[in-house]
Amino acid sequence: MRRRFVELAVVCLLASHAVLHAQEFKVLGRTVQVHGFASQGFIYTNDNNWLTMNTSQGSAAFTDFGLNMSSHLTDKLLVGAQVYDHNLGQLGQYHPSLDWAGADYRFKRWFGVRGGKVKTTLGLYNDTQDLDFLRPFALLPQSVYPTDVRDATIAHLGGDIYGTISLQHHLGDFSYTAYVGHRSDSIYSGYPYLLSTYIHFTSFGGLQYGGDLRWNTPIKGLQIGASRLDQDTMGKGTSVNPSNPTGGYIPYSEHSKADWTNQFYGGYTVGKLRIDSEYRRYVRDQSIFGGASGDFVDVRAWYVSGAYRILKRLQVGSYYSRYAITELVSGVLAAEGVPPQTDTSLPRNHIYDKVVTGRVDLNRFWNLKVEGHFMNGFGMADYPDGFYPQQNPQGFKPDTNALVVKTSFNF
Amino acid sequence: MRWLTAPLLVAGLLNFLCASALASDVKVIANASLKADVISAPELRRIFLQESSSLDNGTRLAPVLEKDGPVHKAFSQEYLGRTQEDLQTYYRALVFTGRGSMPKVLGSDAEVVAYVAATRGAIGYVSNDSDAAVDGVKTLLVVPAGNTAQRKLLTSVEPNYPETLQRLGIGGTVRLALTVAPKGNVENVALLGGNPILAESAIVAVKQWIYEAAHSRSTLEVSVPFPPRR
Repeated sequence: MRRRFVELAVVCLLASHAVLHAQEFKVLGRTVQVHGFASQGFIYTNDNNWLTMNTSQGSAAFTDFGLNMSSHLTDKLLVGAQVYDHNLGQLGQYHPSLDWAGADYRFKRWFGVRGGKVKTTLGLYNDTQDLDFLRPFALLPQSVYPTDVRDATIAHLGGDIYGTISLQHHLGDFSYTAYVGHRSDSIYSGYPYLLSTYIHFTSFGGLQYGGDLRWNTPIKGLQIGASRLDQDTMGKGTSVNPSNPTGGYIPYSEHSKADWTNQFYGGYTVGKLRIDSEYRRYVRDQSIFGGASGDFVDVRAWYVSGAYRILKRLQVGSYYSRYAITELVSGVLAAEGVPPQTDTSLPRNHIYDKVVTGRVDLNRFWNLKVEGHFMNGFGMADYPDGFYPQQNPQGFKPDTNALVVKTSFNF
Repeated sequence: MRWLTAPLLVAGLLNFLCASALASDVKVIANASLKADVISAPELRRIFLQESSSLDNGTRLAPVLEKDGPVHKAFSQEYLGRTQEDLQTYYRALVFTGRGSMPKVLGSDAEVVAYVAATRGAIGYVSNDSDAAVDGVKTLLVVPAGNTAQRKLLTSVEPNYPETLQRLGIGGTVRLALTVAPKGNVENVALLGGNPILAESAIVAVKQWIYEAAHSRSTLEVSVPFPPRR
């Protein structure tokens, strides 16, 4: 932990130095830009522990930072890379990763290509969900952007085509993105951690493909859109034998038979006011324990948010977020009596979250947020939705109030 | 789709109530190497929002910003439809997702003028009061998208077709953007395209044109043909 604080301090020092001495330098006549960010958060909850942290005692295990370099080799060709590191309670654990890297060539406004490790366009904020300094909220609505399972959607190793097309008769623009690639989750992400009591993953990932289409409407500031993500994932490792739990570990595999996400969204900016709303439906039908069992999960989530800039350096915001999950198991697990979960009115099958936040920009590079969450429900114990049995061995209380304080720096 | 009507009406009303009618407090300048004297508002927006690095005709441009202040605020709101803070957020999102770079930011009108004068392909903005009449810098006329203001031409003057070019069979069409005053006289002419020698003749002629009077100033695009003798 001490080493990580030293690393964070080094990033901040470098950042200060970079800010003072410009963030670019020349290599072979080309300008190379350097940018970075770091954030530190603290969460306290009145009851359940949240996001794999011991938040009922107050926890500051909520840190991330990143550094990137990029250069326009030509006016159409951009190359660059960003390294990212984070810790969220038991997740991340400061294993740095390549956040994105590659090349982006924009032939025309209506057609460009990207290749490498590319941030995935899904809804309004999937590709920027790690960038705390871009938004008023310390935590995006966890119903749609669960930070504990960011690995599932954050980026793909592959390629995109993208572009913006102007419509005739002053009907605005359409922006499109289509992509295909490989997803590779860290074994320190939420899903492997959730199941770590009886499954030890050595790898998790697979094919990912999808697209996004958004309409910048003729009404100034209004954008609406839709995204679709399909996946074909596989996880491998070892697990407790469900038929003989005391008989030692056996090889484990799971794969998705169907795994898709539909997301619909709208955003409206007028003056100092910003209003967003998104709906996500995630369906995963997977074969687990090497085919001995099946698990079908259906998640439906949405939120509505608003944020207003009262002063140049002061923003306030609020959102209401709803998350509901149903699950059906088959095969050996069903035979052993694992019941279906279909009643979303139960706290174990939903999380409703009311949030208020305030953001102060101390200067152009540094901000501070204070945020309150008032949650009802705790989601499913065998699905990563923020409340983990490992931190809550005594069971879950139906309501959780959380105070989140977060500061971030970027240059 | 009836369910969409009410929210769209509310959005439109909010937009109307909250929009502030900004006078044009800034002017757009570019390095004198740029051939065009006119840029459309959508093209200007695409360049500064990094949706494109060139004009529709292929001319490459590199935007330069001014630091936060009244000039930057006026430009951001009038031409990019964003507050200064939103624009900063927009650029940062591009930078930190690998989809763009932070544009150059300079501290004052004087610095912007000096940089634009010295940098081929540079485009920036300064306050209307700023002295941009410097070697190497030109002021661009920003025209609305697809401005098709229709005004009746009352009096026209035929351009003089230089005899030398006629004899050589050199002709073509000269495209011009005219700013027509409410009274109907042509206040300003900007070249959009065409043979430069023919353009000189065309400009002399159109400055004598008279349009019907109207309530406000108009920007019109006209094409002046010079059919070559065969």
